[in-house]
Amino acid sequence: MQKQIIISVMSQDRPGIIADITGAIYELNGDLADLNQSVLFGYLTMILIATFDAHITSEDILARIAKIQSPTKLDVIVKEMDTPLDTSHSGLPEKTYIVTAQGENKSGLVHGISSFCYHHDINILDLATTRTDNRYTMILQLDLSRVNSIIEVRKKLQEYGKQSGLHVVMQHHQLFKVTNEINF
Amino acid sequence: MLRSDQILATVEMIQKENLDVRTVTMGINLLDCREKSVAATCRHIEDRISEKAGNFVETCNFVSRKLGIPVVNKRISITPIAFVGAGFNQDGFVELARALDRAASNVGVDILGGFSAQVEKGMTETDRQYIMSLPTALSVTDKICASINVASSQKGINMDALTMLGQSVKDIAEATREQNGFGAAKFVVFCNQPGDNPFMAGAIHGVEEADTVLNVGVSGPGVIARSLERLISSRNDRLRLDEIAEEIKQTTFRVTRCGELVGRQVSEILGVDFGVVDLSLAPTPTIGDSVGEILHILGVDAIGAPGSTAILAMLNDAVKKGGIFASKTVGGLSGAFIPVMEDALLAEAVGSGALCLEKLEAMTCVCSVGLDMIPIPGSVDADTISAIIADEMALGMVNNKTTAARIIPVPGKDVGDKVSFGGLFGASPIMEIRNAGKSKRFIGWGGRIPAPIHSFKN
Repeated sequence: MQKQIIISVMSQDRPGIIADITGAIYELNGDLADLNQSVLFGYLTMILIATFDAHITSEDILARIAKIQSPTKLDVIVKEMDTPLDTSHSGLPEKTYIVTAQGENKSGLVHGISSFCYHHDINILDLATTRTDNRYTMILQLDLSRVNSIIEVRKKLQEYGKQSGLHVVMQHHQLFKVTNEINF
Repeated sequence: MLRSDQILATVEMIQKENLDVRTVTMGINLLDCREKSVAATCRHIEDRISEKAGNFVETCNFVSRKLGIPVVNKRISITPIAFVGAGFNQDGFVELARALDRAASNVGVDILGGFSAQVEKGMTETDRQYIMSLPTALSVTDKICASINVASSQKGINMDALTMLGQSVKDIAEATREQNGFGAAKFVVFCNQPGDNPFMAGAIHGVEEADTVLNVGVSGPGVIARSLERLISSRNDRLRLDEIAEEIKQTTFRVTRCGELVGRQVSEILGVDFGVVDLSLAPTPTIGDSVGEILHILGVDAIGAPGSTAILAMLNDAVKKGGIFASKTVGGLSGAFIPVMEDALLAEAVGSGALCLEKLEAMTCVCSVGLDMIPIPGSVDADTISAIIADEMALGMVNNKTTAARIIPVPGKDVGDKVSFGGLFGASPIMEIRNAGKSKRFIGWGGRIPAPIHSFKN
């Protein structure tokens, strides 16, 4: 019997964090299913899913990670999943759209667009933002599977863009794949 | 997730640079629609078109909305009508044109092409009847486009047909006099006409094709122009032409991919084979969507100035190279179009005297089509028109490429006047025809210009 465990780590970024953490998992006979990491201004956060033998507990994992001789402080959360997550298909949903929103920088922009998504039952799969000079750019990867009318959302999004002074564009993700990748 | 700069570049291309899919064209075979009478054939044709294309426009609109790319035109091409109507007379062909017009309106497409014949070697009596039907057929219908193939690299040029066609072009223009001869804008004469071209007025569903097929025409001169402007302004060091050609290639790749995506999705929903993507730079009268502008950006201060042909050659080739890898199957015309009335900057160059017919003819040696959408004085005689077309056919025949001529003798107008058809058909000053009336003896011979020596490859 195996159990699925989620591990989340935060730390000042440095070479070797992933090697350290996955080394600990390996020693405990864990099997890594998937891992995702992101670095923001030199600070790292990562999340991973691994399966372990039934007798391994969260405490065992925390204890093993604590033994790592790390020059940076590792903040770790370990969570055992009661109901295992489905890791068999990791592809994007068919109704995945990319929204770009650009405008003058001001507070509340990300909150505004994420609230828009929430109110329209749209899940944010990924979000990246950049600021150059005084312009703010948000790129959101969205799952519109629960949306009935794409046209309606498009219209509302335009209205939202007008109100908030953003230039908002929504396009199907396939369009970006085919224009930027060799594979069709 | 893709990189942010890639996403923003794609968004720029779609939102600000006039990227669209110019046309999705459904080719429909009508050969088996032939019945004993004209009326029964018309009924059969109308039934066939509504059966095959009933959901076509709706499906294109659905995919366009889903992907967020405009699909500007939804069109139909059919088996060249002279094959379908074999044995019918002139009046019969007019009835067929009316039936096709009804069918096109019924399924909601913009234009239907294939009111056509192929006479590159010889004409049947049916072909003659078909040619005689053209002025009426094109003046009593709204959505029908006609084309005729009078020459090929394999068979030579049928000068008997060409002799008739100079007069036909004039008669078509005269029959649509109230619209400034607009009928002639719906009729194009070809050498080496492709059977899978989705662009009008020359789209046909070739007899070599399957029952139904979808062909997609992508465009995007605006996208190429903006990407070149960006490249040029981003560089402080010297930019060389091979780097410019590379930029055109990469941009065309992206543009073509959008067409491929739309084509595959529409064909999958309709259960129809996806034929080809035609990677043509087709300008529109919209500012910023001009092939002339690309020539200007690439270094000639007047379109038609020395160097224009060389630039066009490079552009045409880079477009083909970029597109060919992007699509499973490329076909149709594939290259740059230089339709005078449809390209605001070309039309302007005609008005200023920078661009003359002879230079345009030279440019057609290296671009993908030919003398396209050229308004000339209505007074130019039929033999001169036949001879202009003959010159253009000779270029295609000898160079193993498609060439075409769409000349519009505008009734009652002369050099210095302007003509406008509105919408995508655009506007232009009337082009001067030098040496008019001096080709009568040549056209008078008739017969055929034999195929060139390099056609004998067996």
